[in-house]
Amino acid sequence: MTQLGHRRFRRLGSVVAVSAMGALTLAACGGGDDDSGSGGSGDAVDSFTFTFGNASGATDSPFQQLADAYSEETGIEIETKALPPDNYGLTLRTQLQGGNAPDVMVVSPGGGQDAAVLPLAEAGFVEPLDQTSEDLIPEGSEGLFTIDDKVYAQPTDITPVGMTWNVGAAEEAGVDAPTDQSSLLEACKASADAGKSFIVLAGAVPPNPGLMAMSISATRVYADEPDWNAQRADGDVTFADSEGWQDTLQTIVDMNEAGCFQEGFAGAGFDAITQGIGGGTSLATFVPGGAATEIMAHVPNLELQVQSFPPADGGTPYLLASPNYALAINAKADDATKKAAQDFLDWAADPENSAEYTKVSGGVSISGPGEDLSPVYEPVRDLLESGDFAPLPNLEWPNPSVYDSLATGIQGLLTGQGDIQSVLESVDKAWDNG
Amino acid sequence: MTATIGTGPVVREGSAAAGDGTPSRPRRARPLITYGYWWWALPAIAMVLLIHYIATAGGAFYAFTDWTGIGDFNFIGLDNFKRIFEDPALIGSLKNTLFLAFGFLILTNLFGLLLALALNRSLKTRYLLRVLLFMPVVLSPLAVSYIWKFIFDFKGPLNSVIGWFGIEPKVWLADPTLSLWAILVVMAWQTTGMCMVIYLAGLATVSQDIEEAAALDGASTWRRFRSITVPSIRPSIAIASTLMLVQGLRVFDQVMALTGGGPAGDTETLATQVYKQTFALSNFGFGAALALILTLVILVFSVLQQAATKDRS
Repeated sequence: MTQLGHRRFRRLGSVVAVSAMGALTLAACGGGDDDSGSGGSGDAVDSFTFTFGNASGATDSPFQQLADAYSEETGIEIETKALPPDNYGLTLRTQLQGGNAPDVMVVSPGGGQDAAVLPLAEAGFVEPLDQTSEDLIPEGSEGLFTIDDKVYAQPTDITPVGMTWNVGAAEEAGVDAPTDQSSLLEACKASADAGKSFIVLAGAVPPNPGLMAMSISATRVYADEPDWNAQRADGDVTFADSEGWQDTLQTIVDMNEAGCFQEGFAGAGFDAITQGIGGGTSLATFVPGGAATEIMAHVPNLELQVQSFPPADGGTPYLLASPNYALAINAKADDATKKAAQDFLDWAADPENSAEYTKVSGGVSISGPGEDLSPVYEPVRDLLESGDFAPLPNLEWPNPSVYDSLATGIQGLLTGQGDIQSVLESVDKAWDNG
Repeated sequence: MTATIGTGPVVREGSAAAGDGTPSRPRRARPLITYGYWWWALPAIAMVLLIHYIATAGGAFYAFTDWTGIGDFNFIGLDNFKRIFEDPALIGSLKNTLFLAFGFLILTNLFGLLLALALNRSLKTRYLLRVLLFMPVVLSPLAVSYIWKFIFDFKGPLNSVIGWFGIEPKVWLADPTLSLWAILVVMAWQTTGMCMVIYLAGLATVSQDIEEAAALDGASTWRRFRSITVPSIRPSIAIASTLMLVQGLRVFDQVMALTGGGPAGDTETLATQVYKQTFALSNFGFGAALALILTLVILVFSVLQQAATKDRS
């Protein structure tokens, strides 16, 4: 190559390199914004997308079975995607922000969890729903689904949360379900004497001690003041000054001192729960009601029930129960897809279809306990029928940090790293920072 | 690397003169062999700028906002940074980060050097031992951490072994006094092999003749190590210590897998807090502020470390 040719080649190379970079940059900026939904605006669509969280892939999920049943009945194809639950909320928010979210998605009611619907609604990412969806919301839970009288998510079922009780292990240990705090502490000792732990706790995973604290708070806080969260939002009360929350945390300290938890509980993960409750080495644990059904499905001859956590001496039983999951529609979907999605939600709201879903999810029908109530919930049937229950507290809390502070604080209480007052003050701080 | 033989006229300094006899401005000499042209690097530079620096700068902007990861945000100035320095838990994370980084730096370099000296010459099985000791390096930190989590479990092998000596079992990963040390042990165990290899490469450059001469002159082993070996492997020390310090400062996998930052946040580091705040708790702006601080910490300590290990000869 001559020197002239070489210079030309060099100039050409520069131009090509810069042009290529520009094209790549533009392609990167412009890519990935392909809104889902089949068919143009206004046309009927024959398919849409649906995302939910599920640890074991789509096959075991009640949402997958719901979608399959709808497709079979209507011929509308639903393209489902099961995401890992660990980062479900993160993935969903990223997809919504990026404009490539599914048409229908499973969300959490309220604003206290990472896939919570209210922050998504405030940001304009989810679509207001119709009257059918609104009619499904249980009394007292309206605030978890509604902003300015518009409903943004449709609850699927009710999940009671209390103490999951291993009937067989309790009989082996000769221990009856305790009815108040004194009998609870006695039961812990009796269980230990029988070579079992009363409670199996995943102490290394903060959400499990956190769920325990919320279950206990049902009788110590929400039985007397079901609107406690609203009072906290108005600034009328605080966690640190709440006698109920102080009693809740004191109960945990008392249980620890009475040896209610299994050996090495502070370092235990969720596997300890499945081994302890499934293997019958522990009498009780704290998991959502639906998980009891799921554990029973995998362990032959295991009988589990959901009990309300024993109240303080002289107190009355009370339970936590609320929808944990809800269906929402992507506001960025085109009109025809939104209509198809709302049709799906209306179909899911039908009592017969809802009952089929509840059988698989292990919850309680969204319309309340009926004759088809799972035997798992028989001990709390009266509470459910009489309405003596409050929603899971963290659903009504303003941001995920509040629950994280409580859960982490309980973990610290159990390992001797803090005291009740400092834990409750940190929860207040997380609330106020949100 | 591509070598290019220059095709143009080669002009050497001092020989340049215009044909009319007037002194001409000396032209820069072109070497006989050149290695490519500067603009060949343009695509790579542009990609690095676009993906690394511009994206990082964009992320840093959010450190001054209250963005939750969705929707709108407000510009809140330095509020996120004030919150960080007023929160004892986050200051604790900074302390944990520095503890793990410097503990990791010391342990990996110390044991890496000792292993390299032991396996440098003479030992017949040295090649096999080098492979065995280097193997943990190639494993995933997450996989290694989960194996160690099993070892540290309350009903795991470590408690069984100490039980033989009558010692009470411990909750290694949930004890506030032990958990951070447990993480440090796992980090050091996995990465010591990397330091060993770096030091072995350095030791290969140490002249055996000089060492033998020093030995004949009566220099002790320690004196030979201090006066001959250490100066010769100074570049290896600089590389190994820089890599280990930076790796230690951004520790994440081992903490998440072993303790998840617990018990009660006692083993949180800046990197795990960045993840937790940004992605788990939806405090994107706050997480960006933490990430910015982590970046500055790594930058400052890397510069200090470079200055400390600089070859002044």
